[in-house]
This record gives sequence, C-alpha cells and structure tokens, in this order.
Amino acid sequence: MGIRKYAVIGALALAGVSLFGLSARAEDVKLTLWSLDRNIQPAPNLVAEFNKLNNGIHIEYRQIQFDDVVSEAMRAYSTGQAPDIIAIDNPEHALFSSRGAFLDLTDMISKSTVIKPENYFPGPLKSVEWDGRYYGVPKATNTIALYYNKDMFKAKGLDPSKPPQTWDELVDAARKLTDPAANVYGLAFSAKANEEGTFQFLPWAQMGGGSYENINAEGAVKALEIWKKIIDEKLASPDTLTRGQWDSTGTFNSGNAAMAISGPWELDRMTQEAKFDWGVTLLPVPKEGAERSSAMGDFNWAIFASSKHPEEAFKALEFFASQDDKMFKNYGQLPARSDISIPETGQPLKDAALKVFLEQLKYAKPRGPHPEWPKISKAIQDAIQAALTGQASPKDALDQAAEKIKAVLG
Amino acid sequence: MADAPSSISSRKGVPAAQAPGNPVRDVRGPIKRLYSSVRDGRGFDIVLVAFPLGFLFLMAGLPLLYNVLMSFQEVDMFSLGTLMRPFVGLKNYRDLFAQPETLPILANTAIFVAGSIAGQFLIGFGLALFFWVNFPGASWLRGLFLVSWVMPGLVVGAIWNWILSGDFGVLNFVLREGGVISGNIFWRSDPNYSLYAVILANIWLGTAFNMILLSVGLSAIPADLYEAAELDGANAWQRFWTITLPMMRSTIGAIIALGLIFTLQQFDLFAAITSGGPNNSSNVTQYWAWEQSFRQYDFAKGATISVLMIIFVMIASVVYVRSTRHEVRG
Repeated sequence: MGIRKYAVIGALALAGVSLFGLSARAEDVKLTLWSLDRNIQPAPNLVAEFNKLNNGIHIEYRQIQFDDVVSEAMRAYSTGQAPDIIAIDNPEHALFSSRGAFLDLTDMISKSTVIKPENYFPGPLKSVEWDGRYYGVPKATNTIALYYNKDMFKAKGLDPSKPPQTWDELVDAARKLTDPAANVYGLAFSAKANEEGTFQFLPWAQMGGGSYENINAEGAVKALEIWKKIIDEKLASPDTLTRGQWDSTGTFNSGNAAMAISGPWELDRMTQEAKFDWGVTLLPVPKEGAERSSAMGDFNWAIFASSKHPEEAFKALEFFASQDDKMFKNYGQLPARSDISIPETGQPLKDAALKVFLEQLKYAKPRGPHPEWPKISKAIQDAIQAALTGQASPKDALDQAAEKIKAVLG
Repeated sequence: MADAPSSISSRKGVPAAQAPGNPVRDVRGPIKRLYSSVRDGRGFDIVLVAFPLGFLFLMAGLPLLYNVLMSFQEVDMFSLGTLMRPFVGLKNYRDLFAQPETLPILANTAIFVAGSIAGQFLIGFGLALFFWVNFPGASWLRGLFLVSWVMPGLVVGAIWNWILSGDFGVLNFVLREGGVISGNIFWRSDPNYSLYAVILANIWLGTAFNMILLSVGLSAIPADLYEAAELDGANAWQRFWTITLPMMRSTIGAIIALGLIFTLQQFDLFAAITSGGPNNSSNVTQYWAWEQSFRQYDFAKGATISVLMIIFVMIASVVYVRSTRHEVRG
C-alpha cells in the first residue's frame, strides 16, 4: 500500500508541475494559421521561425488542401471556428472581404513600418483591396510567360534569340515547330475547364483590349480564334482541353512540345528534367507595340474578422513580410514586392527566366476582385471549351459568356 | 411478462405468481414488466427496430432532409451554418432547368448508368460462367480479378488517364498497331468520346464485383436440377435459359440495383479522367452537384441536383422491388 500511496503523490506532483508548465505557456497568445503550404514551402517554415522568436505569440499551423481552402474557411467562419490567419487564393479574396469576413487592415498598414502598400506590385495589391480598403497582404505572386526550346528553334531554322513576340509570330513558329512524326507539338498550354483555363485565357483577352467585364471585346474574340486555330491545326495537343498547366508543361520538359505557356513554379522541375537549352520570353501580344498583360496568381494573407487577437496576428504578418527577401532563394517563389531585388541563384537558365518573369509581373492583372469570381470564371471556361470543341463560334461563345457575366455583375 | 415463451422470463415470473396478494407486486410490477419486456418481449422487438431506425434517421435521414430543405432555400457560404435561410420556393429548380447544360447532363447520366451497368453485368456474367466451369486454379484467378475492385477510384482514374491519354496513351497505341484506327483518338478531350472513356474505365472497375456476386448466385443453384435437365435431353443453351437465368433472377435484380447505386456514386473517375469536360460532354449529375456546391459555392443548386438524383434512385428502387416481388423459387 505504501508504494501505491507514494505513486499517487508522485503522480499528483507531476500533474501539478505540468499544469504549472502549461499555465506558463498559456500566457502566450495563441494564434491559428491555415495555409496550403507543404513543409518545403514558406508558411510552415515562417511559422516555425516566428515561434522561435519567443515574443509571447505562439502560432499553430494547419495545412489544408488546395481544393478545400475556401470551403473549409467558409464552414469554419460560419460556425465561429475560423483561424486567426489564413492564406487565400487571390481571386477568392474578395469573396470574403466583401462579406466582412476578413479584417480591414488599412489602419494597421498605414501605421506599419514593415508593410507598405507602395512596395507591392500593383496587381497583387489590388487583389487584397475591396472598396478602397486593404483586407490582406499579398503572400507571394506569380504570372505566366512563354517558355521555348532553343534547340528545337535551331533545328527548325528559327532564331533562338528571337522568340515570337506577337500572336501571329507565335502561330507561325508553332506551325514550323510542330512535327507529328517526331511527336512534337508547337505549343503546350492549358484550356482546362477550371480556374487554370481562365488564368491562361484572361491575359490574352486583356491584351486584346477585353477584360472580364468586357469578355466579348473584339480583341478577346480574336484571342479565342487564335486559340481555336492552334487547337484545330493540331499545333497543340487536343488534350490541352483537359490537361492542367503542370501536365502540359511536362510535355515541354520531355521534348514533346516546343513552346509552353506557364509560370515560374515550373522552374525547379524544368532545370532538373529538361535536357535541352531553353529560354523564357514575355507573352506574345496581338501586334507589335500593343498593351501587355499577364495573369496574376498565388495567395494572400488575411486575418479573419472574428480573430480575438488582431494586433498579434498583424505582427505575425509583419514578420512574414520581413522575410520576403529570402522567399525566392529558400522556396523558389516570387515575393509580390517591387522593392526587393532577388539575388542570383547561380543557375544561368533560372536567373534569365527570373528576369523575364519579374518584367512580366509588371503587367500582371488580378482576376476580379469580385465576390462572385467563381461564377465569372466558370462563364469564361465554358466559352473557351465551347469554342475549342467547335460547339460554338468564338464570337458566339464569348457573347454568351458576356451575358452570363452581366447577370452576375448585376 | 409471465407468459413469455422464453424460459428465463417464465422462471422470473414464478415468485410473483406465488404471492398473489402481495401489495409490493403492484409497485414493482410495472417496472419489472417493463424490464422483462425490454429483455424479452415486445419491448425488445421495439428496441431492436428502433436502434437501426434511429441510426438510419440520424446518419441518412437527417442529411437527406437537410438536402431537400436546402434545395428550396437561398444558400450562400456565409449562411451555411444556419438552418433557417430565406425560402425561395421552386426557384432553384426553375433556374436549374433554364440552364442549357441541364438536359445534356441528365442524358449523359442516363447513358453513363446504362452503359456502365450493361458492360459490367455482361462481362461479369460471362466471367462468372467461365469460372463456374471450375478448371484448375479457377478460384485463384477469380480472386485475382477482385484487385480492380479493391483499388481506390482515384488510383484507377489516374491509371486510365494514362491509358486513355491522346498522344501517348496505351489504348491508342494498341488500336493503332492493331490497325483499328489510323489517327489518335483523344479519348479525354474529344467531346464525342469523353463520356465513353469514363464508361470504359467504370466497366473495368465494376466488372469484378459483378462477377463475384454472380458466381455466388451460380454456386447456389442445386446441381441436381442440371442433372435432371441433362437426362431429359436439354442442351447447354436450353439449360442456361430455363434453369440458370430463372434461378439467378433475384441475384441479377440485386446486382443491377447495386450497380445503379454504384454508378450513380461514381465520382472519382470523373474527377481523375475528364473533370466532366470538355464542355460538359462527360459531365454527369453526381459530378455536377459537387461542382456546383464546391467549385461555384452554389450550395442550393448542388442540393437541387442531388434531390433530382434521389428521385431518380427512388424510381429505380421501386422498379427493383416490384420486379423481384414475385420471385421464382426452386
């Protein structure tokens, strides 16, 4: 019996000590942060570094899958379980800020010495805006440009130092580079019926003078006609309609496509897989001297309006922003900042590509912002697919999309 | 219940019967009666029925009703957590049928269900009959066929994605080498083929399950029936039509009903192979409902589509129940 008594006392003592320990830790302000980043990507590492500062704020990290970000966040918010901080895809930012689900950060930003609006690229910055107020901070950014296989250019008598600059040159080059006998398509891109299709098409429409509010502009119709020409002449694989950007660019890496339209997220894989000399150039424009445009991707940080510790959460965002200069080196992602010059990586192909992407970023436009972006995007995807499968002419398809979008915009 | 048939309860009833004038009996009686009824009697039957019913109601009934409720409401992501949202009557249904893609998608669903069930059943039945011959190693091989059924739909989808790929797909290679086609067929991206590409994958996925259930049905047919028929001079074809098929009637009915449920649940293959594209040419209601709810965040529309599916399945199950009611036995 004696032993048991001591054991009980010991256990109680232990519990007391651990309770004491826990209560000491409980003085820390606890924040939760949701993001889709895996452990080689920024968010979890930034969180770990932030926690190491021991500044009385402790962040708990939770990884969510890309497909679940919005639905999880919505469910959590409507049941009062929302995290303090979330990383949200930029076209979906307005969905939340327009409903007051995200905290208005404008005043905190105006007082901040770390986060200054003028340091950000205009595109990403616009995606966190709603009604002229800031509801978030851009986390990173990306855009799309044209990758091309220099070896294939040489083999087909094209000048690898003069990649196509206009739509017509692009189609011409694609015609020359397409070689069915060798299983080579001229171009690889994605016209998939999801956000990727919109992401790839919208820059073309914008270069043609269109926009999501004016999707059936003459230039946008022309853009879709060019896409249709590329698919109809088999200058790109018919699977372009069902293949995402990652898989499409995979065919470029394996030498089955001579050019590819995609973003900087391909760089690491391409440096490893592509066994040829390649380069990147700006997205071709309708004609020489025409206005440039590009897509703008990637996520934003936001604080939920329901957060009990908005000040501390904003401190965390300030810390994240202060680490932006290491983002490309450590994680291969581009900070959404125009004031940061990214140091060279030492890999010539990658460094050259980076310069092009940074130039292209200046023309990147956000999708929206609009709280019903998914519906607008769907109308555009439907138009692309209807036109490319030949079920409607590009003009009719975009007219229909314009009508659907008008109904959404009200 | 002293008169309950079970020996346990009648033994317990004995002491009470021995003291008829005991006033305590009236106090203890109801509780005891209730207790013994729950242990063995009508109460027990009610508990037995109530438990699964309650479970069904909680796990299936409530979500189903909630789904029906949502289809009559205006739902957006921020009212997801509340139950009472603005009612809009039949607006969701009217909107749904005003959409140009609705009828083609319903037609696709019908083609998908009919094509998948027909393919799975016919090939499954053929295989079941083949293995029924019972050659050496038949049961082993039959077991191996189940591999396809055990694999997760997304894995199957990824594999078929490669097989059906337009430029480098195995299927195109085989067809081309076999001289069936001259140019590549873009199974996933050609609106004329995309739905059939998914049906093909789904047939492959479901055939083994059909085969196993049909094998079980076949082995339950008494062998003496065939012996007798053989003695009477019936040939193999006649034996199949007059013994095998009628004896399998309930099994076949069950398999087709299950097949209907499984094909209407089939979601992974669409997500993995075509995403319902291009241009909705391979979209079916179950994928569309998900797309509406979780891609467009139009939860009411998603619920409306689900309600249509519920009606469809109900009609099918009524047909199934009626067709197997007059079962031919022995």
